[in-house]
Amino acid sequence: MSQATDILAPGARFPDLDLPDHDGRARRLVDVAGGDPLILCFSRGWWCPKEQTFLRGLVTLQDELEVAYARIAVVSVDPPEVQAAFRAGLGARFVFLSDHKRRWLDRLGLVESTDTVHEPYRPLTLTLRPDLTVHAAYEGYWFFGRPTLEELRGDLRAISKAIRSDWTPA
Amino acid sequence: MSDRPFADLHWDGEALSPHEGPGRRFGVDPRCLRGDPVVGAWAHVCASPDPEARLPFDAPEVQQARRDALAWWFSLLGDALVCLSTLSLDASHYGGAITVARTPEHFALDPFARLFAGTAVATDLFSCVLPPAGPVMERYSGAPWPAGRF
Repeated sequence: MSQATDILAPGARFPDLDLPDHDGRARRLVDVAGGDPLILCFSRGWWCPKEQTFLRGLVTLQDELEVAYARIAVVSVDPPEVQAAFRAGLGARFVFLSDHKRRWLDRLGLVESTDTVHEPYRPLTLTLRPDLTVHAAYEGYWFFGRPTLEELRGDLRAISKAIRSDWTPA
Repeated sequence: MSDRPFADLHWDGEALSPHEGPGRRFGVDPRCLRGDPVVGAWAHVCASPDPEARLPFDAPEVQQARRDALAWWFSLLGDALVCLSTLSLDASHYGGAITVARTPEHFALDPFARLFAGTAVATDLFSCVLPPAGPVMERYSGAPWPAGRF
């Protein structure tokens, strides 16, 4: 069984990635989550039309997440300065994490083997609990394998309900 | 030891102090005063000592300033950023914001200066705090954004 299969199973603890963000600041994934549910997207890179379309969709979700105590993080092999430009163009207010040195790509077993030009991450979206426990994983090699916004809302609702002790106020 | 989600910061229009004295008292992200201070930094204090100067944290213009911070203000400051905190007056009122940087060169663009005019002062009080990852801009249990977490 591959490393990727092991770490993507619901209930598995996803690794606490340490990567620079789009501004070059060192980040840890658990701190990015900051005690909240997290949507974690592995993305081929700025150049891929499928990634552009999918991330534009996530940008429409951020207006809800900004008041709903939930997070988004995007990981790609684009350098921080490229991510910063892409992020600004999208109008995103969430964090991008750069694995431009490919420190985690092989360890996670998430290399997209069919793209020998960019050697990118294979598209994958995870919903995680604040402690990085996997709730669900969506393979995005085929675009319709990716989660819809409604599926993401459903996952965030399920995670929030499980972790917020005051979900039903007394 | 207090379990309040903020630390005290006093501002009289010219000088900042964590200690009680002249000037108006604000709540600031306690992480900004907790670590090793950055010597020779600059603070852009977008707040007034006038006790009537306040806005609801939920006012659209206060929300938009926080969005702008997440969208571009932290990126524009880059490595110069030391820390940023909004300034709370109570559980629901915004009294201003403070951005601390190693250089004041971008302070003219501070999105929080749209709400209350900014004053740049030299300071050795503040320590480095990573900016929030976003997109959350709601506050946690009355803490001055971006302090706190669940």
